[in-house]
Formats: sequence, structure tokens, C-alpha cells
Amino acid sequence: MFDVILYTQWKWSRLIIVLGSLAGFALPIVSVQGAASGDRGALAAGALLQTVQSWGVLYPVLAAALGLLVAIATWAPDHRGRHVHALSLPVARWRYVLLRFASGATLLALPILAVLAGAILATWSATIPVGLRGYALALAARFALAVLVAYAVFFAVSAGTARTAGIILAVIGSVILLQIVASVANVDLDVFGELQVAVLNWPGPLAIFTGRWMLIDV
Amino acid sequence: MCSPALQEGWQPPAAECAALIRPFQGRATKRLLLPLFAVAVQSLSGQDVPRLQARADSLVREWRRASALADMVDSLDHARAAGGTDTISVGALRIVTNPSPARLREAASRAWPVIDSLYGTEARQLAQRPYLIAPYDPDTTSPKPTLRGAIQVPWDQDVTSLAMILVTNVPIGQPDAALHNWLGGLVVPIVRPEQARAAVYVQLVTAPSQAARSCFLGVMNDCRNALGLAESPDPLRQWYPSVGERRALVVRSFAEYFGYLDHGARKPTLQSCGAGSDAACTELLRSLPPGVLPRPLTYDARAALVHIALRLGGREAYHRLIATPALPIPQRLAGAAGVSVDSLVSLWRAEILAARPAPVTVPPWGPWVALGWTAVFAVCALRSSRWRVS
Repeated sequence: MFDVILYTQWKWSRLIIVLGSLAGFALPIVSVQGAASGDRGALAAGALLQTVQSWGVLYPVLAAALGLLVAIATWAPDHRGRHVHALSLPVARWRYVLLRFASGATLLALPILAVLAGAILATWSATIPVGLRGYALALAARFALAVLVAYAVFFAVSAGTARTAGIILAVIGSVILLQIVASVANVDLDVFGELQVAVLNWPGPLAIFTGRWMLIDV
Repeated sequence: MCSPALQEGWQPPAAECAALIRPFQGRATKRLLLPLFAVAVQSLSGQDVPRLQARADSLVREWRRASALADMVDSLDHARAAGGTDTISVGALRIVTNPSPARLREAASRAWPVIDSLYGTEARQLAQRPYLIAPYDPDTTSPKPTLRGAIQVPWDQDVTSLAMILVTNVPIGQPDAALHNWLGGLVVPIVRPEQARAAVYVQLVTAPSQAARSCFLGVMNDCRNALGLAESPDPLRQWYPSVGERRALVVRSFAEYFGYLDHGARKPTLQSCGAGSDAACTELLRSLPPGVLPRPLTYDARAALVHIALRLGGREAYHRLIATPALPIPQRLAGAAGVSVDSLVSLWRAEILAARPAPVTVPPWGPWVALGWTAVFAVCALRSSRWRVS
């Protein structure tokens, strides 16, 4: 059963997976292009760190994009068929959802491996100044976790009905409205700030996306 | 007119004007003044009205300014007479403040051990140098308390922030110019020592200077160079020995300065430097005013060294450091620490290298948290209403 679902899901999302893998492989290599020449000595370290940090912004963006697109691709055919096929299958619904989730996560292993391969190749080929080190494995592991979290979030949202999506949007809108009203009324209420701390700081759900994504660091 | 005197330094205006008028109050002076006044009246008749009006306006402005200053002095005197200030004492710390619910005593209790451990016996001088802190009500638009030279803080500020303010604004006597110039600032407690040392580690690795990098690799003499402890007639060659470093310094840090200096007179030299001429780069860097050439390491690195010296030297260390302003900085540091400069720099380097910052910003339990959130969202998908049979 898993093989069949995996195959169908591959057919639906192979373009995303291939493009994501290419981007994931290229990103670490591009980010250390400045370190290709080893004759710059002490000047290279600071400039290299700046370059790597600048490119590092793209890792969480790529992870979020992959999670979103694969999650959408996972559910899109079921939504189009109004879930008739899924409901006619002789499997429990929870099992069907788990199979869908697992197959999507399995496919996402490809871009994760691509990032790992690209990172290893980049740190191996670059001339890293003294005092700096490559963190290919740590970066790839973090990318994997970010992809998984993004995929799970969008998978849950995508699995919901239009009503669920409406409720989520209504909650977000209410928070925005509350903040605006509080500002107008000059009430010391920082809902956005509190939410930001809760969501983006550890142990918040999106904390894995924040911070510096450094392939090369001290 | 009393205004020129006001520009030189503040004095109570009334006293100042009186000082100017007093010499003219004698009888002999009156005899001299009368003919002068007659002459002046004759010359005034020749002046036009707008000019006189301008003078009158000027006098009115001065009068208003003097009145405002007098009012301020009066209000301060009133505040003092009415007992409008409290003095908080913790250890040798003295905080003069206006009555408020601000938790200054608790903050001082936290700050005092930090300050005392740094300055040791010299911290006693703080009993004569009080902090002036004026807490204000953050919830009203009423005027803030007038306590001249005071640090203004909202009275609901938390104790940690208040303690931080006390620690970073210690009103201790400034050190001599030599120490101040070498250090690049005052000797003050380091609020977050681990983070400061980690920042110095990053500087050692990334500073565009051969001296800093060699120090990182273990060349102790270069550590002294990078810290500005080595006596050298040519700090440029000492700090930035390679051609690339000098060129990078000019291009990155001083391109704009030299581009506009003397209406662009240095532009050709700047262009030569950018094109690879080391002579041009060196010429430009040597033309910088004294003290402007950036040192390889920043204040944090030198402050860490001073703090290690004070820690090693015990309670008298700071006193020994400031008591010998005529000696070279390395000797003063060695005297304060009670060890040789080489030992001190070695210890500094060891502590900096031990403070290597964590490169990965994910905490050790971060992966489990991320996997946990993944599971939570997956369960949310299982519970989707789309799958419930109603």
C-alpha cells in the first residue's frame, strides 16, 4: 500500500522534488564561491562569513517552500476527487493519512540529501581560512528538521476543510484586529510581540527556522 | 549685555551682570559716565528706530533667558529645601534620587558586588561620587522631575535593568589619558563576560589583520601587537603587515574619507591604492591623524585583558593600575595583575579561545522539539473534520 501511495505521490510532486533537490544541492556550493581562492589570507575570513550568512537566509526559505508545495501536492488530487477514492479504500482513514504523510516525508528526503551532498562538496572544495570550520552535517540536519516541520504544518492545513481554513484565518484576523484596537485605545497590549516570542523562539513550532544558518562558522 | 560671559561658562545671570556693573558704581565712575552718556544720547539720536528695536528685542530675549535660569535654580533650591531627594546607600554606592517606587535599592544590592569586585579598594571613592537618578512616572504626561545631570528612568523599570544601568554608568573617577587612549574607553564592569569573550574570539578569527590571526594561531608576540601592547614606531606595519591588508583597510574603511578629503585631492592616490599600489595605500594610511588608524582588535579585547589583570591582582589591582600613569601600559597591567605581561596575555588568549561561540544556534533538545511539533501537526491532520463521519 505504501509503495503505491509513494509512487502516485512521486508522480504528482516529482517536479517540485527535482527542482528542490537541484536548488538544495546548488545552494551550499554557491554560498562558498568566494572562498575558492585561497590567497587572500586573513582578509578572507570575515568576507567569507558574511557571504555564507547572506546565502544562509535561503535555507529556511527553501525548506518552507518545499514543505508547502509537497504538502499541497500530496492532497490536491484527493481534494479534486472530493475524497471519494480515499474513502472507498479498505483502509482506516487514520492509516491512509499516515501513509500520505509518510510518503511525502520520504520524498522530501531527496532534497535533504541533496543539501547534505552539496554542503559536503562545498566544504571540501572551499579553502576555509584558519579558525573557521565547515558544518555540513549540522546544516543538513537542521534543514531536514525545518522541512519536516514546514511539511507537517502545511499538511495539517491542507488536510482540513475550507471551514477549518476559515477558522484559522478568522483567528489570525481577530489577533490583528485586537492589536489595532489596542493601539488605537492606547492600551499597553503587544499581542504580536507575544505571539512572535511564542512561535519563533524555542520551544516554539517555527523556532527551527530562526537564527543563523551557517555552513561555515567559527 | 551679559551674553558673551554666558557663552564661556554658566553662572547665575544676575550675579554675572552685577559683576559687570559693580565697577561702574563708584562716584568717580559716575563723573566719567555722565559725559559719556551725553555723547551716547547724541549719537543715539542719529540711529534709526529698527536698530533700536532690535536691541530692545535682544535685551528682552536675554531677560527671558535669565528669568528661566533663575526659575530653574529656584525650583532646585525648593526641591532641596523640601527634602525632595532621597539618598540610597548600599556598600559605598550612593544614589541620590527623588522619592518614587523605583526598586533602586534592590538594583544597587545587585550591582554593588559586581562594582566592588572590579574596583576593589578604589570603589570607596563612590561614596563621594553619587549616582543621580530621577525616576519618572511612565503613565502620565506630567513634566519629568528636574534633577540636573540625572539618569532618567521610568519608575516601573525592572530590577535587572536598573542594576544594568548602575553597572554600566559607574561614576568612578576617569583613568589617566594614557590608559583611556589605549583601552579606547573607561574601565567598567563587563555585563556579559562570556558573550564579550566570544565576540573577541570571532574578532581573532575574522579581523583583517595578520597580527590577530597569528595571535589566534599562538604567536604570543602578535597577541601583544594586536592588543596594542608592543612599543613600535610604526604601528601600521605592525598591525597590517601585508599589502592586501593595507589595501583592504583603505578601500573598506577610508575610501569615502579620502575621496572627499581636501575636495578630492587624494582621489588619484586612492585610485592608485585601489589599483594595487602599496606605496599609495601606505601613504594614505600614514596621512591619517594620530589615533585614527584602526587597531586590529576592539575595546572588548583590551577590556577583557584589563579585567583578567584586575581579577588576578585582587582588591588592590585597580588602585595599582591607576596609580602609575607614567609607566607604559604593559608594565601597568603587569603591576596590577602581579604577573608578567606574557603570562597575562597567555591567560587572556587561553580564556578567549575557551570562549569559542557555539556555531549551531539550535539547542541540544531542539531536534526533539522540532520532531515533537511535526508529530503534533501530523495528529492535527488525522483529526481533520474532513475525515469524520457525521
